[in-house]
Amino acid sequence: MRLVIAEDAALLREGLAGLLEDAGHAVVARVGEADSLLAVVAEHQPELAIVDVRMPPTYEDEGMRAAVEIRRSYPETAVLVLSQHVESRHAVELVGSGGGFGYLLKDRVLDVDAFLDAVDRVAGGGSALDPEVVKHLLLPPHEDDALAALTPREREVLGLMAEGKTNAGIARQLWLTEKTVETHVSSILGKLGLPLDGDTHRRVLAVVTYLRKSSPTY
Amino acid sequence: MRALRVAAVAIASATTACVVIGLLEVAGVLPRPPDDIPDAIIPFVAIAVLTPTAVGLLIALRRPRNLIAWLMLVGALLVASEPVDLLVSQGWALQTGRATWPMLYAWPIAITYVFPNGQLLSRRWRWVAGAGATCFLGFMTVAMLDTEPFDTPYESVPNPVAGNPAAEWVSTSKLGLVWIPLWLGILATLFAGALAMRLRLRRSTGIERLQTMWLAWAAALIPLGLVLCAASWTFFGFVEVLVFPFLLVMQATIAISVGVAVTRYRLYTIERLVNRTVVYALVTFVLLGTYAAVTVGLGVAVGGGSAWVTALATLAVAVAFRPLRARVQDVVDRRFSRARYDGVRRVRAFEQEVRDGRRAPETIGEVLAAALGDPRAELLFWLPASETYADSSGELVPSLPLDGRASSEIERDDARTAVLLHAPELLERRDLLDGVLDAAALSVEIARLRVELRLQLAEVAASRERIVEAGYEERRRLERDLHDGAQQRLVSLGVHIRRLQRTLPRSASILSPALDQIVDEVGAAIADLRQIAAGVRPARLDDGLAAALRDLARSAPVPVEVEAPGERVAASVEAAAYYVACEALTNAVKHAAATRVAVRAARENGSLLVTVSDDGVGGAVARRGSGLAGLRDRVAAHGGSLEIVSPHGEGTRIEVTLPCGS
Repeated sequence: MRLVIAEDAALLREGLAGLLEDAGHAVVARVGEADSLLAVVAEHQPELAIVDVRMPPTYEDEGMRAAVEIRRSYPETAVLVLSQHVESRHAVELVGSGGGFGYLLKDRVLDVDAFLDAVDRVAGGGSALDPEVVKHLLLPPHEDDALAALTPREREVLGLMAEGKTNAGIARQLWLTEKTVETHVSSILGKLGLPLDGDTHRRVLAVVTYLRKSSPTY
Repeated sequence: MRALRVAAVAIASATTACVVIGLLEVAGVLPRPPDDIPDAIIPFVAIAVLTPTAVGLLIALRRPRNLIAWLMLVGALLVASEPVDLLVSQGWALQTGRATWPMLYAWPIAITYVFPNGQLLSRRWRWVAGAGATCFLGFMTVAMLDTEPFDTPYESVPNPVAGNPAAEWVSTSKLGLVWIPLWLGILATLFAGALAMRLRLRRSTGIERLQTMWLAWAAALIPLGLVLCAASWTFFGFVEVLVFPFLLVMQATIAISVGVAVTRYRLYTIERLVNRTVVYALVTFVLLGTYAAVTVGLGVAVGGGSAWVTALATLAVAVAFRPLRARVQDVVDRRFSRARYDGVRRVRAFEQEVRDGRRAPETIGEVLAAALGDPRAELLFWLPASETYADSSGELVPSLPLDGRASSEIERDDARTAVLLHAPELLERRDLLDGVLDAAALSVEIARLRVELRLQLAEVAASRERIVEAGYEERRRLERDLHDGAQQRLVSLGVHIRRLQRTLPRSASILSPALDQIVDEVGAAIADLRQIAAGVRPARLDDGLAAALRDLARSAPVPVEVEAPGERVAASVEAAAYYVACEALTNAVKHAAATRVAVRAARENGSLLVTVSDDGVGGAVARRGSGLAGLRDRVAAHGGSLEIVSPHGEGTRIEVTLPCGS
């Protein structure tokens, strides 16, 4: 896979690039700020751009704005945004608005396999939403009757669905068979009144949109 | 011109020589007949002669063609020449003494005709002046030909004109009675002089008017002198020696006022001088009347002139003086300085309104504008600390916006309090301006202090707000540094370890679990740092108050109900509201043993209202140094307020109002 990295901390940028190259991806450009990011995306039309939220010159949300711009101008390029902390409701909005977008805390990189999995997922038009964000979305349950009606296991599965995981991924993480996961998913979608659609991507969007609506702060 | 100047100096020298001769006679160096003019009067004569000489010389040197100078120089010389007559003979001295007294009036009256430019009002006035001069000269000529013997004690001195056929003829024929129309003519010159001054006052403006007023003020003494002389003549049969000093002081006074008018020094005080003169003249008149009435009345009742009567009359006058003076001053002000009187009254009425709380002291500027009749007048208060002026609303005025206006400083206890910008014409009405500003001095000082205080309080509030802002900014920076500095490095370190781990040769796979453990430690360190950063300043505040409050509720050990608006307000206000909720929540859990807490934030009338209520034990008070007191300070720094309702056993409710603009 061809990708670009935008990260102002050089050490981390090189480490990330090394990890991704070790995994067989081609890092075609590495930049340290948002403007050059847009330039290299225009130049290389990569499959994925990994973008730090805070970058020079103001260290506010340049990365996030660049991500929105890339998704708008280059639909073929997916974007995975990395952040030091859960900071933006725009992240949920973006994940919920369509595939090819991911939002993860930086330290998720340390779980290399899960990170590479998320990279693949997002580049393939799927989604990745950080578990920390999902946790915020699922709480507090008492505000929503439908969410309260879920069993603990179903809530767990719902969270992984929101993170963008496939049934297979969920089954692997929870040590369940895919068949059991499918049963849980049907039950959850039924309880929340969402369409029982086979497409994972569209399912994620529906779930995130539902959670965002039920949680007033996102 | 040069010749004129030399002549002026010559006349002045001659006058001075005459004075010296007179003084030498008094000193006994030169012969002097006994019982002539009393010695005590001599200093008055010297002053009466030297003052107009000095002023006349001054004017003559500057404007040799101005008639006023010559009138004064010659007039003074004629008055001064009297002692010289004594050197000729005692008879001639007595004869000129009783014939030339009108000289004392001649030059002052003449000046009233030509003041201040040295010219008559019009050609027609030449006739008036000519007739006047004729009357004076005629009267003195007839008097010189008087063959009557001298009065006691000089009856033994022979009259030098006695036996002269011409003089005898004039004295015995009906022509001798010609002095009566001449005397009336002299009186007429006085009225003509008064008329001339009145016309000039009416026609002139500005400086010239003030100059004329100065002379008019002094010239009022001329008729007074005549009246006194006539009275003395009527009652005593001769001119009482006590009248002389008055006449001589009159000469000096007229000369001095001419000097003031010409040099323009202290020219502007004339209105007040006239005012005071009128007041004291009236007071004197009324007091004399009172004295006379009491003396006569009691004298008739008690009989005879007892010491008691005098004492009571004196007492009555003494008691009446102060209230009478104030009353007369009031009447005179009302009659003669209407504008000043009304202006001062306006200021006093304003003071009363301020005292009653019906007007703000800062509106004194408008009152001054109204009192001075100058709608463009503007009052600016002096701020010594910043050495600048400020208007009544506290706006600083770096430079005086004169805009064609004049400025008058207002002082109190020799310290500048304000400046009034006003129409330049007011400078010529010093009486009005000074009177009103004097009356308003205290009000102006009060208003100034209030403006100053308000500015200082605003500055303190602003600086407190800046300090709090700086505090938030510092927290923000610290949070950034934690996230982007230390945390980032740890992530980077973890990534490198992972890479190392994944590139290890198969033989070294035994190290893998240890590396996993190290990466776990790094992850834990990152989590710790994230938590610390969140404590310094929750990054969730970037997502708004509602998001941050919900996070706060999630981490609380008791159920917390949150209700907050999704709309954003200023970041500093959101932060303040967040810390308020934080502190209140901590108190509820730690001290109040609450089992449920509700946090509510709402926008209301341009303010953010934050209410935190719990079901705890209550009884919370904002003690010094306590968290609640700190909260109150933090809220006050934002210009907000904090209210604690905490009855014992009924929970605590903390209400905070934070202004947040529109």
